[in-house]
Amino acid sequence: MAAAIAGVFQPEMQNLIKESKVLLVGAGGIGCEVLKNLVLTGFSELEIIDLDTIEVSNLNRQFLFNKESVGKAKSHVAKTSVLKFNPNVNITSHLGDIMDTKYGVAFFNKFKLVINALDNKKARSHVNRMCLSCDIPLIESGTMGYSGQVEFIKKGVSLCYECLPKSEPKSYPMCTIRNTPKEPIHCIVWAKFLFGQLFGESDEDVSVDQTVYDGTETKVSARQWAEIIEYDPKKLLEKIFYDDIKYLLSMESMYTGKKVKPVLLEPSFFETEVVEYRHVLDSEVLTLEQCKSMFLDCIVSIKQKLDICQNKSLVWDKDDDDFMNFVVSSSNIRSAIFNIPLKSHFDIKSLAGNIIPAIATANAIIAGQIVIHALRILSGKYERCQSVFLRELPNHKGQILVKDKFLQKPNPKCMVCSTDGEIVLSIDINNITVKQFEELILKKKLNMVAPDVLVDGRMIISSDEDDELDLYEKTLAEAGVNHGSRFSVDDYFQNYSIKIMLQHKEKAQEEDPDFEIFGNLEELNTAEKNNEAEPEENDEDCLIEKDESCVERVDDDLSTSDEQAHDMVTDKKQEDDSVIKEDMMDSDPEVIKVDQEISNEEILAMKRKADEASEDINEAKKSRVD
Amino acid sequence: MASEITNNGNGEMSKEERKVYDRQIRLWGYDGQKKLREIKVLLIGMQGLGAEIAKNLILSGVNSITLKDHTEVSILDCCSQFLIPRDSQERNRAKASMSAAQKLNPNVKVIVDTTPIEQNVDSFVTSFDIVIATECSPTTYKRLSELCRKAKVKLFIADVYGLFGYFFQDVNFKHNLYGEVFLDNDKIYTDSLPAKIPRPYFLTSALLKFQSESNRKPNPDTCEEDVEELKSIVNPILDQLNIGNNIFDEYYGELFCELSPTTSIIGAMVSQTAIKNAMDKPIEKYNVFFYDHIEHEGQFHLL
Repeated sequence: MAAAIAGVFQPEMQNLIKESKVLLVGAGGIGCEVLKNLVLTGFSELEIIDLDTIEVSNLNRQFLFNKESVGKAKSHVAKTSVLKFNPNVNITSHLGDIMDTKYGVAFFNKFKLVINALDNKKARSHVNRMCLSCDIPLIESGTMGYSGQVEFIKKGVSLCYECLPKSEPKSYPMCTIRNTPKEPIHCIVWAKFLFGQLFGESDEDVSVDQTVYDGTETKVSARQWAEIIEYDPKKLLEKIFYDDIKYLLSMESMYTGKKVKPVLLEPSFFETEVVEYRHVLDSEVLTLEQCKSMFLDCIVSIKQKLDICQNKSLVWDKDDDDFMNFVVSSSNIRSAIFNIPLKSHFDIKSLAGNIIPAIATANAIIAGQIVIHALRILSGKYERCQSVFLRELPNHKGQILVKDKFLQKPNPKCMVCSTDGEIVLSIDINNITVKQFEELILKKKLNMVAPDVLVDGRMIISSDEDDELDLYEKTLAEAGVNHGSRFSVDDYFQNYSIKIMLQHKEKAQEEDPDFEIFGNLEELNTAEKNNEAEPEENDEDCLIEKDESCVERVDDDLSTSDEQAHDMVTDKKQEDDSVIKEDMMDSDPEVIKVDQEISNEEILAMKRKADEASEDINEAKKSRVD
Repeated sequence: MASEITNNGNGEMSKEERKVYDRQIRLWGYDGQKKLREIKVLLIGMQGLGAEIAKNLILSGVNSITLKDHTEVSILDCCSQFLIPRDSQERNRAKASMSAAQKLNPNVKVIVDTTPIEQNVDSFVTSFDIVIATECSPTTYKRLSELCRKAKVKLFIADVYGLFGYFFQDVNFKHNLYGEVFLDNDKIYTDSLPAKIPRPYFLTSALLKFQSESNRKPNPDTCEEDVEELKSIVNPILDQLNIGNNIFDEYYGELFCELSPTTSIIGAMVSQTAIKNAMDKPIEKYNVFFYDHIEHEGQFHLL
């Protein structure tokens, strides 16, 4: 512990290190490295929180864990491991979700500094708000593959995590998923929906409901039907990949004038013998027959899991081999039907599991810079704490760890850290209930935890159940909301409040978005003008958010910060000679704008292949895919 | 333990290995991982920086790593050496690090070597694909640079001084040798170096000269005298170049021991650059890297 030895640091610095209580949020890739650095530097009052347990795929970088610790709580094991090389440190480890209400203002106020080593936007936004409201400096961080970044956030001093808009998750039109898939990802998303429909509680129907001839001809859901036939693998195979396709083809006009049209598989396909597929490496592509065998086998295994949990429901997880095999086999069979190239298990896992590559070295570099930032912040040298970016390759000047020229000032219009933040919500007040408004807009979209809502001075949502407002099932209109109403929304837990101005917009067609949010009225007007100017293409409009419900619990996964840090790496506006801008110069700016939240995997997979194929491409060119 | 060790590099990657390396295979592909599995590394010096490099390379799944250190565990190791348990009774640094190092990844052969590099014959290094040296004397670095160049073995030389750190690399056997970049006479600045010399170069040269003269790195016990000594080395050079003497004032207070944030950064930079070499994607335009802990910048240079 460096700070325990006289002369290593200047005396003031030495005391600050020894006495400052620090909260580390996340014990994943960056978290392990940061904890090591903090402890060795001599920080002796630490708390660490993580809700995750250790998995085998963490072991290539989360060095405080090993094979024996798989399945155990990350936060506790991380603590035990660092105590071996420094027993004289006071660490409290929490197995829990930082968004849990038990970690409120009183909890945060204990700390001199908070460090985020997270992997999802929702938790990052939440900690950002907690630190703003408690006026505690926050270090935000992330890595993706070879690159990464460190950001300093302090109320009134710097940009906050939410000062600049973050990109939205990539979405696919539901009708493309159901009827007209054109790319492997469409079939993969479909396969995950199908899993939810057959084994979970999903309400996204991607398989046709069945009519059961029990004399009364009742119609039953796909799950009910599967239960009736006791998940007979062969019957499921035939229904999903023959009957359902036949049904699609029977609908006139479904495929008229479209390039995409399914082709029924030969009936013999459903009859042929079972073939072996287990020897095939996950980097190789299975044949259609092998996919069929894999499908039949995994249905049996998944049915057993369903039995164990007493037929409740299963949640898809990329780390469950049977669940993964289900998506590999069914997406590939569907691809074959729609004349789409089949994919390897390895590639499908990247796409379906939304996996961000992660390595020890990038995490270690970012973690080192985090602790150096921590030292500068504690000694009040805020102006020294510009964002620092780790690049995949050196730029033309040889720089690989690059900082912003200046500490960026807060965005005066930020809806989170600025006091007069107001946003405009465009919505059909007759088509949304108060409950939906709370769940979809306040909690999901605006990342609140326990909001209270006043409309023109009247309370319509209360975080206190005793208030018994009883308006949840009413539409906004019925609850007294009008065009031009002003909502005042407070989240006492986050100590966060925002004003929302409501603009009523009738939802004319089903494909229209449920709601839109704008920074101000001009933005809304501009958007509307643009919409009129460019009538939308037919089939790309019934947007769904790319299955957030099942994408690896994107929203509620508080763990390895390396897995989804890309939203930071790619979103940030840059000063002139720092990382991203240079990269943009070499590449099509449109590509950069494309959201990275989900499609990242595709880009990375492409990048990896490109790297392998052309090793001689000059360095500058390679780095641009970031 | 021994029975658990799979022979990295021999035969196909097992399913278990694929699972452990999954997140990095998604970055550098199976081919990259296969190349890594064949790499034999010699790592000299097991203080904090050595521990970081060992950790990163063992996690990545190289074939073998030889941890070479003949020195004893010191109180200063607690600033950054996380592979040595504080209750360890073992006095030799490499031996004391062995158990924790091997636990990071049972697929990698971790070998301990307690012979001083100075006593090894020249041919010793040729049995390795990559040699990484830390915490040696400037004289030893020069000798290593020359003999690795001759034997065409890729070489990295790295050191951390407090929060400041640098590394030198010779991976394509074309650029200047270590002794040509960091001269040990009074003339630190020479005409053979590029016109625009990065500031950290002067600091590094002064630190190396300090080491040559005092036979040790600057030490926290004697921090005030050591800083004065460093100033007396660097200021005449700065004067000669018409650079203000105060440019390093902020740096001097943070040059003692190997401090963890910077061993983390330099250790990972060296490891990542070595890994890229193993995959035939070296960063070969440059031969020196500095991490500037005041500017928060890391930059490669050709010197």
